[in-house]
Amino acid sequence: MPISEKLAPLRKGLLEFVILKIIAADKVYVADMLKLLSETEFATQEGTLYPLLSKLRREELVDYEWKESEAGPPRKYYKLTAQGRTQLATLNDYWKEINRTLAQLEK
Amino acid sequence: MEKVVSINLNGNAFQLEEPGYVALRAYLERAAASLQENPDRAEILADIEQSIAEKCARYLNERKTVITRTEVDAILAEMGPVEAGDSQSATGSQAGAQTRTDAPKRLYQIREGAMLTGVCQGIAAYLNIDVTFVRVAFVILAFATFGAAALIYVVLAFIIPYADTTEEHAAAYGFAATAQGLIEQAKRHSESFRARQEWRRGWHWQQRAWQRHWRRHERRMRAQAPVGGSTPSMPPVPPPIAPPSYVAHAVLGVTTPIFAIVHAAAFVAWAYVLLSMLTTGTIFGWKLPVEIPVWASILILVVLYGMITAPLKALRFIGYEHQYAPYHHSFGALHGVVWLAATALFAWLAYHHIPEVHALIDNLPNAWHRTGTFNVETFLHDLEIDRLFSRQ
Repeated sequence: MPISEKLAPLRKGLLEFVILKIIAADKVYVADMLKLLSETEFATQEGTLYPLLSKLRREELVDYEWKESEAGPPRKYYKLTAQGRTQLATLNDYWKEINRTLAQLEK
Repeated sequence: MEKVVSINLNGNAFQLEEPGYVALRAYLERAAASLQENPDRAEILADIEQSIAEKCARYLNERKTVITRTEVDAILAEMGPVEAGDSQSATGSQAGAQTRTDAPKRLYQIREGAMLTGVCQGIAAYLNIDVTFVRVAFVILAFATFGAAALIYVVLAFIIPYADTTEEHAAAYGFAATAQGLIEQAKRHSESFRARQEWRRGWHWQQRAWQRHWRRHERRMRAQAPVGGSTPSMPPVPPPIAPPSYVAHAVLGVTTPIFAIVHAAAFVAWAYVLLSMLTTGTIFGWKLPVEIPVWASILILVVLYGMITAPLKALRFIGYEHQYAPYHHSFGALHGVVWLAATALFAWLAYHHIPEVHALIDNLPNAWHRTGTFNVETFLHDLEIDRLFSRQ
């Protein structure tokens, strides 16, 4: 199994975490998120992002509001809900935990 | 030069080159299919359309008003395949990590590149082998089975549905479920598309003419039905919209020959009874009562035959009514072919295996001779008047 195939599910699993992080930092719309992600290993496409965002919204972790844009139709700007913030905190802690474990195993 | 198609993307109008439109439509169909279970399906699709619209707008200015096929391909590659949000099996988001997921494979007839009707193409696609092997196998089988394979081909041509939509093509090849795969497919499609366009236009025109004719005919029939009262039990049928589903088509493909065979059996039996009555005046050894004139017994037989076959006919037409009207023709043709073959077969079997029938047929020339050169006067004389007088 090539290494890229092992990394893909890792990235996929972390994508939700990364998206929550981005939305937590600022109200963003999809094109902003894609741009931010495009420079990282989490580069994502709309085809993946829209369904993921709709899932997060169903789980009441994020919400959006419509904002007028200077070019074209109004855009959806996403933000975290209180629940989303709690979950992000949990995920952050868990991630630190994993890092600590990994660091310990290296010794 | 390409034909241009105007489309509406979430409320924004765009003009696309036709092959680009085909690719885009395939992408959106695929997206809609993979979001089938998603409760936010409509919203996600609207978002995606909106996003495509914004990307389209990037390619346009005052002097460029049409989006080319290459640009559509670029936009769709940028969009990436639409994955169901909750699915675990989805591949990595980066392009290149696409795997061939197994779409449900189905047997279809594929018109593209077909020699006859596309049965072999469909089988080849289904088994994932070269179509030439299938064709050669069919020809060899046809010789080995003294033509039975050719008959099977004809039956299959009627039973197996055609792959018309992109989705059906994908199912015919058991095609990768990724949007990228579908785009590739659509591309291949659009190449053969151009060459066939001219022919196709003529064909579509012809088809529309037939459809118009059929609809007119149907309206007339429907307008007449309550007055004539011939089919009072038939409920008003909604106008046919969708082509028959795969299952409905297959069911109709199987039931039509069965009806045809039953119909043929009834016809052969009826013909035997009629002939035997005309030539010997008996039915299965039972002598006709003298007081019934021959013309009346013929009439009774005709009415009886009508009564026996009416339910068969009604069943058949109910099948058609629930299907897309133009398909009527192909199933009608299937019924005709099978009926003819079955009638010939039954007649042959009866002639060789039932002595009474054998004797009757062999006697036919004599009986005919006795009836004399056919003119009404001698016919009536021989059949009826003669007999009536002789019995008085």
